[in-house]
Amino acid sequence: MNNLSQNTPDTDLQDQASTSVDVIQTLDLTKRYGMRAKKSVLAVDRISFAVKKGQVFGFLGPNGSGKTITIGMLVGIIMPTGGSFRLFGNSDSRGLNAARARVGATLETPNFYPYMSGRDNLRIVAAIKGVNRSRIEECLALVGLSRRAKHRFKTYSQGMKQRLALAAAMLNDPELIVLDEPSNGLDPQGIREIREIIHTLAKRGKTIFLSSHLLVEVERTCSHVAIIRDGRIIKWGPVAEMVGEGNAVLLRSEDIEVLAGAMEAYPDATSVRRTDDGIVVALDSGDLANVTRYLSERGIYLSLLAPHQPSLEEVFIDVTGDTTDSMTGLAA
Amino acid sequence: MKILTILLRIEWLKAAKRRIFWVAIGAFGLFTAIRAVIGIYMASTIPDVDFTLPERWPDILGAVSGFGPLFTAILMILLFAPEFSWRTARQNIIDGLSKEQFFTGKVILLAGLVLLFMAVAVLIGVSSTIFSPGESGSAIFRPNDLSYMGGIALGMLIYGSFGLVLSTYLRSSGSALGVLFLYIIVEGIIPLLTLRMGSRTLRDAMEFLPFKVVENLGDNLAYYPAELLEMNPMRPELDLVPLGSPDIGIHVIVALAYIVVLLGLSLLNLRKRDL
Ligand SMILES: Nc1ncnc2c1ncn2[C@@H]1O[C@H](COP(=O)(O)OP(=O)(O)OP(=O)(O)O)[C@@H](O)[C@H]1O
Ligand SMILES: [Mg+2]
Repeated sequence: MNNLSQNTPDTDLQDQASTSVDVIQTLDLTKRYGMRAKKSVLAVDRISFAVKKGQVFGFLGPNGSGKTITIGMLVGIIMPTGGSFRLFGNSDSRGLNAARARVGATLETPNFYPYMSGRDNLRIVAAIKGVNRSRIEECLALVGLSRRAKHRFKTYSQGMKQRLALAAAMLNDPELIVLDEPSNGLDPQGIREIREIIHTLAKRGKTIFLSSHLLVEVERTCSHVAIIRDGRIIKWGPVAEMVGEGNAVLLRSEDIEVLAGAMEAYPDATSVRRTDDGIVVALDSGDLANVTRYLSERGIYLSLLAPHQPSLEEVFIDVTGDTTDSMTGLAA
Repeated sequence: MKILTILLRIEWLKAAKRRIFWVAIGAFGLFTAIRAVIGIYMASTIPDVDFTLPERWPDILGAVSGFGPLFTAILMILLFAPEFSWRTARQNIIDGLSKEQFFTGKVILLAGLVLLFMAVAVLIGVSSTIFSPGESGSAIFRPNDLSYMGGIALGMLIYGSFGLVLSTYLRSSGSALGVLFLYIIVEGIIPLLTLRMGSRTLRDAMEFLPFKVVENLGDNLAYYPAELLEMNPMRPELDLVPLGSPDIGIHVIVALAYIVVLLGLSLLNLRKRDL
């Protein structure tokens, strides 16, 4: 897993210079399908966000929210119908074509020639990217496919196909790696391996943009996240900031129902949610003394009062108002 | 220049691993060989007939002009159209080819197929004379043989471009093949309809329908006027009208125009549509 470090690390100076340019930047990026107003689908609706060098950026949203279409526009196979975007600061078609040489990407399903072996498929990618053959073996080893590389792609399992796609994306050691649902079809072991690869790449200063409909995946791998729903970005920023936002407390007392009822009436509480071990209350201010006074006045005595760090899942539920089961499931 | 070599290499990798590619080349070779074998057989059984080159090129190439273009169109479709359902066309772009480069790769593929088919035909023609009785003193090719090959190659390019355009528009080998055959039938019917309308210019125009142009370019009489001169004097005796031959010059120009238009259409379509 660890022979990734073949490049010399960038000097600090270069790092400083390149952080000033966003790796990805979108401005009101839009994709509408169908021209007639009635039938048209607004797949991506005025999306704006920026990804800086070295970030592991998660693009989180339920099925059909517009993740694939957005990535498709960034990698040049889908034409935007509105707005604009930049890759490494380039927005004209010539600049974008050149910029794409610094990108490795997978989109939706792994796309390969079914009748060719995994290795031969990578030879084609290598020819396009101008990479020599030794790198093919390196990448195959990295994703654990060396042993099966001579077999035909169509005989691969879903997980193996996914690994081959990852190998292809890494072939030219790109500065930006874009992965559309990289853990699709992988078993827990495979998901962990992909996560390790992503961590190693991030440590080497690569920028990673990955889409996912799985909260846990984004929470565990990403430094930044944009939450997308129905083609719109609802919220985006550093994961740490998002989950650190607000003053939430976990409370417990003898009778949880009475406690919950009292807190729902508390003027400073913005939300009250029951959990397995108590209730989580979001407060406008962090004044806990006031809370204990308020409760004791009503004859309620706390057995637990602790600050609560919401998970990304909770943030997600908070900003979208609900959640799909498919978003929260799966723990690797 | 470097990019052209890379594109050629990529298309070669893609094709060489497909079984259908080798099957098509094999079938093409077989069809050509059948014509040669017939020639050899006749030469060995009929006293006055020889099977020698270059004299027998009109026969061998005449056979190729019959099935070569269709072979090119079908193989072109089978090699190209699936790239859309496999989404490898999409991935090639993601991996770094521009749409124009991807398209250029397909044009290179088309040119390569035509050259390959011609090479197979020549190879089989030349090697078949080894087995045949009779000795010819002159060179293997005469200038007319070469221009005949050029005419057939142009015909293959028209059909191949047709396959290319159908593949880009329909993005599925099944429907592309379906429309190809349908069009061949339709083009066969149109002249019959105009025949009844009687307008002479209209009938003349029928000579320039795409696949009719291919047929005319593959007419060996057009390249070997000597044969025409040999045959025509006998025809009135047999109550037949003298044979004519199409004007190759005009047909070459029309053929080139068709190829440019077809390739242009598919490039436009590829550029305009999402993958
Ligand atoms: N060619 C098309 N024509 C019309 N609508 C389309 C087309 N392609 C995609 N859409 C619509 O655009 C929306 C976004 O699709 P997209 O594939 O980006 O979703 P996604 O977020 O990647 O979902 P998933 O998690 O299922 O992969 C969907 O509502 C989809 O139906
Ligand atoms: Mg998707």
